[in-house]
Amino acid sequence: MSSVRPKLKPETPKAVTAWETATGRTVWMTADGGWTTDTSKIGAFTGDAAEERLAAAAKQETDINDPYFMEVTEAGGITGRETLRETIRANGPTVTYGDKA
Amino acid sequence: MYRYDEFDAQIVKERVAQFRGQVERRLSGELLEDEFKPLRLQNGVYLQLHAYMLRVAIPYGQLNARQMRMLARIAREYDRNYGHFTTRQNIQFNWVALKDIPDVLALLAEVEMHAIQTSGNCIRNTTSDHYAGAARDEIMDPRPWCEIIRQWSTFHPEFAFLPRKFKIAVTGAEHDRAAIRVHDIGLHMRERDGVRGFEVHVGGGQGRTPHVAALVNDFVPEDRLLDYLEAIMRVYNLHGRRDNKYKARIKILVNELGPEEFTRQVEVEFAAQRPHEKIDLPQAEIERIHAYFAPPELATKPETSDAFEAAKANDKAFARWARINLHPHVTPGYTSVTVSLKPIGGLAGDATDAQMEIIANLAETYGQDDIRVSHAQNVILAHVALDDLPALYAELDAAGLATPNESLITDLIVCPGLDYCNLANARSIPVGQAVQQVFADPDYQEDIGRLHINISGCINACGHHHVGHIGILGVDKKGEEFYQITFGGRADEKAAIGDIAGPGLKSEDVPGALKRVVDRYRELRSGKDELFIDTLGRLGHDPFKEALYAAD
Repeated sequence: MSSVRPKLKPETPKAVTAWETATGRTVWMTADGGWTTDTSKIGAFTGDAAEERLAAAAKQETDINDPYFMEVTEAGGITGRETLRETIRANGPTVTYGDKA
Repeated sequence: MYRYDEFDAQIVKERVAQFRGQVERRLSGELLEDEFKPLRLQNGVYLQLHAYMLRVAIPYGQLNARQMRMLARIAREYDRNYGHFTTRQNIQFNWVALKDIPDVLALLAEVEMHAIQTSGNCIRNTTSDHYAGAARDEIMDPRPWCEIIRQWSTFHPEFAFLPRKFKIAVTGAEHDRAAIRVHDIGLHMRERDGVRGFEVHVGGGQGRTPHVAALVNDFVPEDRLLDYLEAIMRVYNLHGRRDNKYKARIKILVNELGPEEFTRQVEVEFAAQRPHEKIDLPQAEIERIHAYFAPPELATKPETSDAFEAAKANDKAFARWARINLHPHVTPGYTSVTVSLKPIGGLAGDATDAQMEIIANLAETYGQDDIRVSHAQNVILAHVALDDLPALYAELDAAGLATPNESLITDLIVCPGLDYCNLANARSIPVGQAVQQVFADPDYQEDIGRLHINISGCINACGHHHVGHIGILGVDKKGEEFYQITFGGRADEKAAIGDIAGPGLKSEDVPGALKRVVDRYRELRSGKDELFIDTLGRLGHDPFKEALYAAD
């Protein structure tokens, strides 16, 4: 399964993102195909290589959920139309909450 | 309140064990997400933007102190020290790990709570008037019938896979505080010739295709209610659309058939029920359920309280809170108290674990161990003696729970929006906070009077924007948040869907624009007694649209 997000062109740099199954934490695929919760280690992929990475992610459904492409810069920075959504996924709510509110 | 019998307890316990096994199989890889998703949703577990979210049912919004303390404990031990009370009188935890959820459900079961039917295409938690069993204007207490509907609908095999989710609300007061006309079925309790019964409204709802429900029967006697509900559900189950998610709610069916034809089909189904299919309850069973909701034994008191009057005279802040956050109680010398979860600049509907503990303590000390959650995302202590209000207020105030704004302009209904929700297009919470800030002055708020602003971060309308006197809908335009404003919605017995005023506004322009609208209302109202919604009805929307889009 996959989240329905805006379609990205093959040449657009993209990351593979998902949620860790046991905890629900947001995770991103690193350049070497592992998973990280650290946004400075997001891997950027294009073309067939990106499709292969997404296909590989889909086969790891025991550990992660619902992988999909998100737009990033060549360096792996969050960018594009869904910048706000993906920034919130990465950094948490934009408001202070709980006993810090 | 209702207490579980051995069957209820067993059902919930077995469900926890079943889900524990399902989670284990998901984590081991035996179940993949496509297989697991319907199972987790049947147990209230969503996957949101940054974590799983667990929605816990609070049947018709009623809790006792022990249950509230358990919610506090779950917030503390399994979440980030808070929970979010929702527009369906439930509570959501935003950061619970899947691996821990079976343990959380086991804790909930200890206090007769669960997350069953808080998601999926089934009959959801039945909602009701948050002043039920306490309000002076109430004709009949709706809670026993909410409980009967809960028992009838829980795990009902015929209605486990409906075309879409299904929401029922019941009210027993003339003034509808439960928004019944924007539910799939809305039941308004009536009495006719000494017989109790229900006015039945069907096909209301919000979302992308909002409708006010149609009246399909002006009186169904209470002993026929469940059969009548079954007839409605069968017509829906047979003819509701399963080919298109966006046309699957019963409101679409009622609208496409027309209310007359829909009603005719329900009546045919109702008449065709064979004797062995009838599930009408014996009177003894109806009375047995009613007995759980007997009014609390309140000490006899005079209509007025010297202590209360003296405190009002001596403390302006207390007097303001008492003017705004109290609701007339059926018993002389008592009142219902709204504990506001809408502090200025806060997060609507959120309560910390510490606040939940305090509410639980106060409910035991002053409130007959009876706590309610309102669809407006506040908490209510339903039965409080006027004599106790000064002490109660002092403790609420110290905990940040005494904001005097019940039904005023800063008492906004706000969905979690893009800060939490995987479906949202735009943020709701920061916009709500900014709107609160421009109306923060308590004198200004009181001068404006009752005015409901509701915000949703997407068209699914969890923030009830369609029925806000002023509605705000967040939309995404090429990656930028915009906010459409609607005027004229209302959720009460005169329910109406608001009209879109015009082009969407940038988030930073919303507070100022709404201030212009409200100030125009203050200029145009016939007097201080004329509410915004009534001025709007008298003059039409044009003066307010002009104000909304006027340059500063």
